[in-house]
This record gives sequence, structure tokens and C-alpha cells, in this order.
Amino acid sequence: MAVQIAKHLFTVDEYYRIAEIGLLGPEPRVELIEGEIIDMSPMGLPHASCVARLNRMFWRGLGDRVVLWPQLPLRLNLRSEPEPDLAILAPHQDAYKSGHPVALDVFLVIEVSDSTLDYDRYVKGPLYAGANIPDYWIANLADGQVEVHRDPTPDGYQTIQVMRPGDVIRPLAFPDLEVAVADILG
Amino acid sequence: MAVETASQAHEAPMERWRFNVDEYYQMGEVGILGPEARVELIDGELIRMPPIRSHHNGSVIDLDELLRELLGRRVTISIQGPLILGPYSAPQPDILVLRRRDDNYRSANPTAADVLLVIEVSDSTLTYDRETKGLLYAQAGLPDYWIANLADGQVEVHRDPTPDGYKSIQIMGRGDVIRPLAFPDLVIAVSDILG
Repeated sequence: MAVQIAKHLFTVDEYYRIAEIGLLGPEPRVELIEGEIIDMSPMGLPHASCVARLNRMFWRGLGDRVVLWPQLPLRLNLRSEPEPDLAILAPHQDAYKSGHPVALDVFLVIEVSDSTLDYDRYVKGPLYAGANIPDYWIANLADGQVEVHRDPTPDGYQTIQVMRPGDVIRPLAFPDLEVAVADILG
Repeated sequence: MAVETASQAHEAPMERWRFNVDEYYQMGEVGILGPEARVELIDGELIRMPPIRSHHNGSVIDLDELLRELLGRRVTISIQGPLILGPYSAPQPDILVLRRRDDNYRSANPTAADVLLVIEVSDSTLTYDRETKGLLYAQAGLPDYWIANLADGQVEVHRDPTPDGYKSIQIMGRGDVIRPLAFPDLVIAVSDILG
């Protein structure tokens, strides 16, 4: 009878204590995903400039109707605190001073993916779907497309649409906004 | 629903954060790894050790008694104790046969140079013991690594460590005897190991 070898999984509280006692270095670039501390790879230029474009587009399109939350933590469950490339949040009375946003605050999450596509699809996708985040986009730079994940269930997103340059995407929460795939990919 | 694309062939694997041995001990000291955490540090990752079942435990006790009878105080025998292998690994093998040290390793945990023989008793973790532990022990240069494979009734003797793994793996069955590399005068019956 074979036993699955299991990694030790951390809670968000343990993750914070690990950082507090300095074990993740002075400026940790990590996120906690289902109990595992994941080292975020250094960000290449195409990735960084795509994040900047996304921020500009959503700021122009939605302004103060939302809070833009770029590469900042979301508290999704007991063992997960990812930092997606961009989260579009509902405005909050105290501007998220008293606690990190949770899934209910999130309209849309976007990951920019150049070297992390499998991870963004098959680990982050189920994580965001399990948290019931309604709208999850992956800007797939390598293949020049944006993947729109919707209809979250505990087993993952039920709908995945692949959008290409020439297509436009309307965020679920803001159907009046037209986002051109070509503008996302740059 | 899966989306398949050509770019996946060039996928960079996500890197898990690796802790070093000092950090592993610090997590124990501050209570992040509490008394209930049965983990070992393998290549920077904390791996849970499965609960020890009675057959496994009995084999460890048998081996301990057998080795003490045969070797007495020529060596130190450590049961499921720590072994520090480089900056990122601190496994706890079932049996370590170590060079004797005056202070019984109070001042520092044993390292690769102290190890004469390492034995893992394997009932449910055979692949892990063969592949992950095998590579780890070979890369550390541990000269003699035995896996007491309870499920198949055999003992696997791994020798000639290289950075790619052990070059020599001998499968010994009941009726065979094994002579530890460090003590070629000693004859250990496989049937005594398997009980």
C-alpha cells in the first residue's frame, strides 16, 4: 500500500510568522498557494509592461468605480494568499486598511502569463474558482491570446473562452466596458 | 476544460520556496513547526512523515537490537534521529549507524561524514525511499544505504554513491546475508532484518 508523500502545508498565519522572523528574506517575493510558499519568478519586461497596460486601461475605463489592486495580496482561504498581477475590487469604506481583500471583494482577477501558464491555468484557476471569483483572465503572452475563465465551481471554471487580437472582452461586472485583446497584449 | 498550446513545452516550473537547515530549526524554536508537526527537511521542502505503523516500528526495533548485539559500542546507533546533509536537507532516517563521538553528538547533529550505514524501513514509502531518499543519500556520499522492503520481503543494498544516484543496487532475499561495507567481518541475515 503506497502512501502519498505529503508536503507540510502552512496556514496564512504561519506564513506571516515565517516572514516576521525573517525567514523569507528582507523583501520576500513569494505567495502562499494552498499551503505552499511559492517563489515568484523575476518578472520579465513583457510581463511588467503588460501589467502596466492593464492598470492604465482599467483606470481609464473604470476610474473610481473600482479599486485596482496590482500584485497585492488577496486572502482567499485559510492556506492561500496569492498576489495576482491585477485584481479589480469593489471600493471599500476604509480602502482595505483594516484587512486584505477577500474573494467577495473581487470583480475580476487577471494573471499575466509568459512562463507560468500551466501554473496559472491548473493551480491558480482551481484556487480562484474554489474561492468563487466570478471572472478570471489569463493574458497568455506566449500564444498571443487572453483566456477568459467564468462560471466558477468547486471543481474549477466551467467556461473557458480563448480570445484573440481583434476580439473584445466585456468584464462580467462591467458589461459596458469593452477591453480590446490587442490592447492587453500590446 | 483544458486549453492546450504550443507554449507549454517551454514551461518554467514554479519554484517552491526552499528553507535551509537553520531556518528549519528556527521554525521549530518559534513554534511554527509545533510538537505535532512530524516533518523532515528534504531539499528545502518540509515533507510530512507518515504515521509509523506497527510492522514498520517492529522492524526498526529488531534492527536496533540486532545491530547493537553485533556492533556494541564500536558505533553509535541513532533511531529516527536527525542527519544534516548540506544546507537544505535534514532527514530523519529510521536507522543511522554512526562513528562514535565522545559527546554522543550533543554538540552537533551528525553529518554525512559520520555515517557508516543508513537504513530505511519501507512499508508504504518505497518509491520515495528509492528515488528521493536514494538520490539525496547518494549525493551526500553516504556509502551504504539499505532499504528494508517489507512489502516484497527483500532488502535493497545501495552502494557506490555518485551525484546521479547509487551505481550499485543489489536485491537480497530471505536466505541471503549482507556484510556492511564498514564492517565486512559482520554477517547479517536478511531474514533477521525482515523478521
